[in-house]
Amino acid sequence: MAQRLDLLDPAEVARLGGIEIVAEGVVEGFLAGVHRSPFRGFSVEFTEHRAYQAGDELRYLDWRILGRSDRLFVKQFEEETNLRAMVLVDVSRSMAWQGTPERLTKRAYADRLAAALALILLRQRDATGLVTFDDQVRQVIPARVKAGQWTRIVRGLLDTPDGRGTAAHAALQRLTALLMRRGMVVLLSDLLFDRELALAALRYLRHRGHQVVVFHLMDPAEVNLSGPPEVRFRDPESSLSVVVRPRELARAYAETVRREIAAWRKACRRHGIGYHHVQTDMPFGLALRLLT
Amino acid sequence: MSFLHPLALLGLAAAAIPALLHLLQRRVPPELDFPPVRYLSAAERESARRLKLRHLLLLILRTALIVVIVLAAARPLVPLRGGGAHQPTAAVIILDNSPSSGAVVDGGLVLDRLRVAARSSIARTTSADRLWLMLCDGVLRGGTREALLAIIDSTHSGWQRLDLVQAVERAARMVDAQPLQGREVHVVSDLQRTALVSGRAAVPPGVRVLALEPGRAVANRGIASVTVSEGAAIIALSGSGAGGKDSPQPVPVTIHIGGGRRDRGEIAARGLATPGSAVTVSLPAQSLAPGWWLGEAALEPDELRADDRRPFTWRVAPPARVTATSGAGSFVAAALAVLQEGRRVSEGRDVVISGGETSPAPAGAAIVQPPADAALVGQANRALASRGVPWHWGQLGTPGSITAPQVPVLEATPVARRYRLEGGSGGGGDVLATVNGEPWLVRSGNVVLLGSRLDTAWTALPTAPGFVPFIDALVNRIAIGQAEVSSAEGAPHVEFRTRGADTVGATVFGPDPRESDLTPATPALATAAFGGRDRAEVLSANDFAIERFSGTRRADASVLLLILALLLAATELVVATRTR
Repeated sequence: MAQRLDLLDPAEVARLGGIEIVAEGVVEGFLAGVHRSPFRGFSVEFTEHRAYQAGDELRYLDWRILGRSDRLFVKQFEEETNLRAMVLVDVSRSMAWQGTPERLTKRAYADRLAAALALILLRQRDATGLVTFDDQVRQVIPARVKAGQWTRIVRGLLDTPDGRGTAAHAALQRLTALLMRRGMVVLLSDLLFDRELALAALRYLRHRGHQVVVFHLMDPAEVNLSGPPEVRFRDPESSLSVVVRPRELARAYAETVRREIAAWRKACRRHGIGYHHVQTDMPFGLALRLLT
Repeated sequence: MSFLHPLALLGLAAAAIPALLHLLQRRVPPELDFPPVRYLSAAERESARRLKLRHLLLLILRTALIVVIVLAAARPLVPLRGGGAHQPTAAVIILDNSPSSGAVVDGGLVLDRLRVAARSSIARTTSADRLWLMLCDGVLRGGTREALLAIIDSTHSGWQRLDLVQAVERAARMVDAQPLQGREVHVVSDLQRTALVSGRAAVPPGVRVLALEPGRAVANRGIASVTVSEGAAIIALSGSGAGGKDSPQPVPVTIHIGGGRRDRGEIAARGLATPGSAVTVSLPAQSLAPGWWLGEAALEPDELRADDRRPFTWRVAPPARVTATSGAGSFVAAALAVLQEGRRVSEGRDVVISGGETSPAPAGAAIVQPPADAALVGQANRALASRGVPWHWGQLGTPGSITAPQVPVLEATPVARRYRLEGGSGGGGDVLATVNGEPWLVRSGNVVLLGSRLDTAWTALPTAPGFVPFIDALVNRIAIGQAEVSSAEGAPHVEFRTRGADTVGATVFGPDPRESDLTPATPALATAAFGGRDRAEVLSANDFAIERFSGTRRADASVLLLILALLLAATELVVATRTR
């Protein structure tokens, strides 16, 4: 591949093909960039020694044997599936929104990012599952490491239609029952729901020993307000609407968004939850790198 | 404020455009999906007050911008105060140099202060102005600035009183008739209250009357008049206290008669008089030789010297030579006897007192009573007519009391019986006394007619104390015709009127007694007298200097308005772009 897909504009990358193609292309580029697994250390176990051969990495050389017997041996590791990762994708109606037709919807962006993330995890033999939700849990694919798991995850993403309103805390509470073993939870959402209720559920997961990472997805048009001189903006998930003059309110709106992001970041940090603000024009590779 | 293009003001209706646009633009806005509406709502809640204020500010700025542009297009002319040239103006400067301007206040003449103000008014004029100067004589003097300044410099306190109300009215009419943009009357006066009593000046619209505020009031007293009658001089005083509030104190008055004519003797007398009242000084008439006597009443000097002295004249006549006919009655005969004993009359036929029974002698003076017999009235009337007397006795009149301002001793004397005196011209000079409004004592030439006989059956006069003085006045003054002494405004002096070699009257000149009252009018009274608040102002010296000709100092304010419009537009731009 002449160009690294992980660093291209997500909308352009999406035009290359379906989720599988895009995700594989992104992951290939991403892994080529980092040269090694970004998640090394939590899924490998020593098995045996063997004689050093030219080309082996020096970091795996057993220096104790070298010191005692003056012979070169390298350590061999057996990868183990001791990490269980669940990717939570918000499929509410608000996620199916795009500021301009040239951009991906937040849902499309989340699907591709989730597929790429799952592929990376599965390649390093981590059990990976998927949950899609809106105001209730729509699809659950338990975490597995067996062959065909990634295809199931992709199929699950494709089979989940755009939902209705969002009540994330209900879905997250249900997840706590599904994730019996400690693992990693990655939430992909626009976070347009009650912050306190959602944080309560995330805090509970964190309390159960899960590593929780939140990707706060926003369309660039949601950050910088624009539009006709006067317009009635309607929330697609509720009956809430408001008439505004975007040019008059742009500055105040931008300030409100900035405060909201800061509030999420601060609350997540306080509870040991990883928080990343991602706009849908951010290349997938950069978004994935936020996890390393 | 006036406008060069007033029709442009119709454009002010355009000021409603911003508000109308605001209302008309209230249409249904397009509806769009936008998930983070909750953020919008929060932002709008926080900005609602600021946005409302911004909208209001923009509406005001845009409306004001249109108004200012329309006003600028109308080319407004605004009056300017202070310096700067003024439009051509017709102005009358009334310099009140009446006698009261000679008062000394704070060590200086009032006239000097007025002269400075008048000079300053003239100095502010331009060659395009038309100017007149009015002094206390009421004459409007036109001329160049230099000529009028020369008049002002040579002006001294005059002897004539100036009625300011009439003066302002005349001046206002004069400037109103001039085809110039400005019309002003400057009143430079001590604004005596007594100079403003003749009502309210009719000042045409467009004429401004500016009056200089009067200075400090000072106390003054002056001799208002001197009246000499039988054996006494009555001296009336006038004046005012400082500020018009002090109660007047009695002051000494001195009169001199015959001063400078020591060959005829001199009389000096003193008395105490209070301003506003009169003092009577007895004169020893017997010691004065017959003829015209000059006298002068004087007060001690005060702040206004012009009214401290007043001349008077008095004619002392020789005793009349009188004859009473038998029909004149016993009371008349007895009174003449008393007067003859006192050398007030002598025997002769210069004056004949009759009872109507004989025709009065054509040569001398005659005092005629109605006949006792009613049947002789017709004959007596014919005798009068033959002598050219227009009066005659008519029917019996109703009883009543005598009213006689010119003969005070007759005043209020009861009359029981009388004939109506008829046929005269009714001239005020002929009728000397009346009863019930009808003539009772009249004079025609040297014939004096009585409506009643001097008898107790007709009137109570013969038994009254004033009967002898009445007969004295009748024969010595009334019958022979009293020489008329009149008064006039002017420098104090006396002028005699002569007929042939005889002196037949005199005119005594002096200042008007009202000039002695130096109480200044209140600004409200002066403003009202000069045409009302919309026409007249009473101003301090500084304001007077500022306001002069300011009514015509105008400037085109359109440039300023355009600058203001630019500022408004810039402000609108800033508010519209920076306050989002």
